[in-house]
Amino acid sequence: MTASAITRPGERDRLIVKLAQIDWTLMLVLCLIAATGAAMLYSISGLSWEPWAAKHLVRFGLCIGMMIVLATVDVRLWFMSAYPVYGLGLVLLIAVEIMGDVSLGAQRWLDLGFVRLQPSEIMKIGLVLALARFYHGLSAEAAKFSWRLVVPVVLIALPTLLVAHQPDLGTAVLLASSGGAVMVLAGLSLRVVVALAVTLAASIPPFVMFVLHDYQRSRILTFLNPEADPSGSGYHILQSKIALGSGGLLGKGYGLGSQSQLNFLPEKHTDFIFATLAEEFGFIGCISVLLLFAAAITIALRIASVSHSHFGRLGAAGVTATFALYVMINGAMVMGLAPVVGVPMPLLSYGGTVMLTVMVGFGLVQSVRVHRYSEITSGRGTLL
Amino acid sequence: MSEPSIFFSEVNERQGVFNRRAFLMGGLAGGTILALGGRLAQLQLLEFDRYRLMSTENQFNFRLIPPPRGRIMDRFGVELASNRPNFRVLVVRDEINDIDATLDALSQLIPITPERRRQLLREISRSPKLVPVAVAEDLTWEEFSRVNVRTPELPGVTADMGEARVYPHGGAFAHVVGYVAKVSDRDVAAAGLNPDPLLHHPGFRIGKQGVEKALDTVLRGKSGAVKTEVDALGREVRKDPEGDINPVAGKTVVLSLDADVQSRALEVLGEESGACVVMDIQSGDLICMASAPSFDANQFVKGLSTADYRALSDYERRPLLDKALSGTYPPGSTFKPMTALAVLDSGMVDPNETIVCSGQMWFGNRFFHCWKRGGHGPQNMHEAIKNSCDIYFYQTALKIGPDRIARVAEAFGMGQTFDIGISGQKAGLVPSTAWKRRQYKQPWYPGESLSFGIGQGALSANALQLAVMTARLANGRKALNPRLIKSIGGVETPSGAAAADLPFKPEHMEMVRSAMAAVANDTTGTAYRASQLGLGPVLMAGKTGTAQVRVISRAERASGVRTNESLPWRLRDHALFVAFAPYDAPRYALSIIVQHGGGGAAVAAPMAREIMRVVLLKDAAIRARIESPLPMPEAPVPAAGEVEGEAPPPPSETILPVAAPILSGGPTP
Repeated sequence: MTASAITRPGERDRLIVKLAQIDWTLMLVLCLIAATGAAMLYSISGLSWEPWAAKHLVRFGLCIGMMIVLATVDVRLWFMSAYPVYGLGLVLLIAVEIMGDVSLGAQRWLDLGFVRLQPSEIMKIGLVLALARFYHGLSAEAAKFSWRLVVPVVLIALPTLLVAHQPDLGTAVLLASSGGAVMVLAGLSLRVVVALAVTLAASIPPFVMFVLHDYQRSRILTFLNPEADPSGSGYHILQSKIALGSGGLLGKGYGLGSQSQLNFLPEKHTDFIFATLAEEFGFIGCISVLLLFAAAITIALRIASVSHSHFGRLGAAGVTATFALYVMINGAMVMGLAPVVGVPMPLLSYGGTVMLTVMVGFGLVQSVRVHRYSEITSGRGTLL
Repeated sequence: MSEPSIFFSEVNERQGVFNRRAFLMGGLAGGTILALGGRLAQLQLLEFDRYRLMSTENQFNFRLIPPPRGRIMDRFGVELASNRPNFRVLVVRDEINDIDATLDALSQLIPITPERRRQLLREISRSPKLVPVAVAEDLTWEEFSRVNVRTPELPGVTADMGEARVYPHGGAFAHVVGYVAKVSDRDVAAAGLNPDPLLHHPGFRIGKQGVEKALDTVLRGKSGAVKTEVDALGREVRKDPEGDINPVAGKTVVLSLDADVQSRALEVLGEESGACVVMDIQSGDLICMASAPSFDANQFVKGLSTADYRALSDYERRPLLDKALSGTYPPGSTFKPMTALAVLDSGMVDPNETIVCSGQMWFGNRFFHCWKRGGHGPQNMHEAIKNSCDIYFYQTALKIGPDRIARVAEAFGMGQTFDIGISGQKAGLVPSTAWKRRQYKQPWYPGESLSFGIGQGALSANALQLAVMTARLANGRKALNPRLIKSIGGVETPSGAAAADLPFKPEHMEMVRSAMAAVANDTTGTAYRASQLGLGPVLMAGKTGTAQVRVISRAERASGVRTNESLPWRLRDHALFVAFAPYDAPRYALSIIVQHGGGGAAVAAPMAREIMRVVLLKDAAIRARIESPLPMPEAPVPAAGEVEGEAPPPPSETILPVAAPILSGGPTP
């Protein structure tokens, strides 16, 4: 198998050729992150596979399989399914709005009987796909600044507002940010970007004071002054910082993190798993994991940049932006630099839905790599 | 909208823009991750020490282990204060969500009355969040185990086995041993800036009186701690035995007291109000120091209800007061040996010289009476002590002046406190010309000497001082000091015998002692009938005293002095008696004061005899002497022979306590 095989139509559609074109380095990095997550889950459940570690690994195994399958799906099929997936996500979000389960004080889940579905997760992929699909047919000039940008703005605004209304602030911020990232990647005028950023910054205080729910507001106010109420809402941030700080350079040792083992750390297996890692493996462990994330982001962006199709570029980069946002928001939250919003650390935290979303996203990235020479000649795209 | 065709140049342009933007975004993400790394370095490297400390504070909990309180024992090792197991149920407010539900659940297991429940809710809301509050104490084993089994379901509830103080003799030692009780705010304030954390422990009791108070820190010991690893809910996850600090038990304190003697003294005093002190004449050890009526010290350990406390504090006979130390009374005629010694020491009066007692004498502008109407006739010193003749002592005191008497009284321990290790002693008062000048800016009036000479007037002393006085007189050589605390933690305290010599001639003291022997053993002595021990050759010497507490008017004297029985309790005379035994080889001295008891010979002397009998019978050497069939070959007991076989004296002579010497101008005590 040579590099030329991928460039020849017919030849490149063979499964074996496709599999060879999957970026196995990226695959390895993702596996390392997930394995670290499993190791931490094994540790915090008292060195036991139950209840989290085993499930985490099994799910990741299934997700890897799915990712390989998705990697072989022609990028033009992704292209064609962009709007339908977005549409489906939107319909489900509206359905949740009307008749969703209320759990943990927020309408986030749709009970389909056999599976509990979180439509906002579908939307994370759907939004990136739809934006990439839209920009694929847009000239660089129009992407810079034109009236046609109303379309991506509406595409972003609809799901963001629906999710924010559930209310799931973290996901809403994530959707808006990754959508915005795709717009910037597509070439939105930097002057507009700066202007928007300033407007956004100015609108945050009134937004916090008048739009947010009480618990959301208190989380944000607590973030600004965590010491005000150490046993109340400041507790999470404080305990997380204690876990991090007490880890020191080398950590307390595997399975010996008192903050997580003794439940001082809240949500230790999901949102705050990075604090557990920090406590048991210290600064060295943290930096290693952050480097893995950085490696995944770099590789994915390189894949995006070598794609021949604009859709592939924006899709892969948009997914990467979402992934990077997860890492940055969660990291900042755990370290006391951002308010506590329910954003997990991808692949490290326990939780099937987010893992599925992220791995579907990387499936797209791999597909873009495998099909990097495929041209999508028209806006409609062709399969063959 | 028709799809725009994508031209090659445009494709390149879009790719160029994308690549630049992707690079920008990658840089942004890299920068953010770098910032996160910097934050990690700040938290984990720069502020590591701070967070490590906070983590340790989270992880470990030191649970205080109170040390067992030191025992208090009598000279023979009989426990006067010890500890017994106490099964308790405690709650910690901080760990309870719904205090009502918790109490409901608990009342299913142990009895909690609605009243107790109200009290508890008040107590819980008032105590600091983390300090446990005892819901119930002194549970039975069944109740305790019932709660213990259920504690995992009841967060914030612990069943624990503590120790409670117990006083096996109840009230007999309530004053001298004292008692422990709940820590008051004042105790915490007194502990200073850094109070022992034990003070906040729910089961802890602090010494409030007597030895328990004086030696509180010695008896308390040092608290230990159990180091436990706890989870976020405060539940114990693991013990860390290496981190434990073992409590150091309080030291055992051995007193010089004898539980048998003390109990007998309380028994003999009965319902009377008074005090009795017995002292070893060789070592200065206090064998008995009782105050009556007493109270059950165990009640204070549990906590006394307001009503019960009021009953104790309002009772006229003052059970809460330690009368042996803090009750000062005019010694009355028990002081006459001191006056006699002062007279002998002055050399101004020949002890064989007689003074005629006609029952009264005119001095100043009024009559001074002898207790015996009609008088004793001619009296020398020996007879005057034996008969307790007031006129003799009026005359001699007048002659030698107050300062000579005061010097003797002070040399024998009056007007001062002794270092016996517990507080609460009142020094009493020995009057003198200097005192009069200092206190009243007035000269001493000769009339005052008359009262002073018979132990009345401004003079006052407590039972301990009278015992010391008698012991020093009986010792005849050393100015013995009393000792109450024999040893602390096995370390012997200095003996009371290590004292200076008395600055008086031994033959003078012997003369006084022989007169005191006559008081008890001469058939005409004031306390003859009441002082016969019935212990064969072992005899007691003593001196009666009846101290008047009211002024007898001339009209009353003319119509006959009212009997004590006809007076309200608080106006009756104090009955006193001092004694030592065996007379021929003094070993124990005793003083007894019966407040408003009546006559010294009728009331105090029989009590002294009963107590002295126990004291003597517990002494192995004396007991051997009593039980030996033959008398000692050279027993110089002059009075003993006379007593043998004589008929008891007529009752009119022996029942004599009613009449008391009249006071001169001095204030009635």
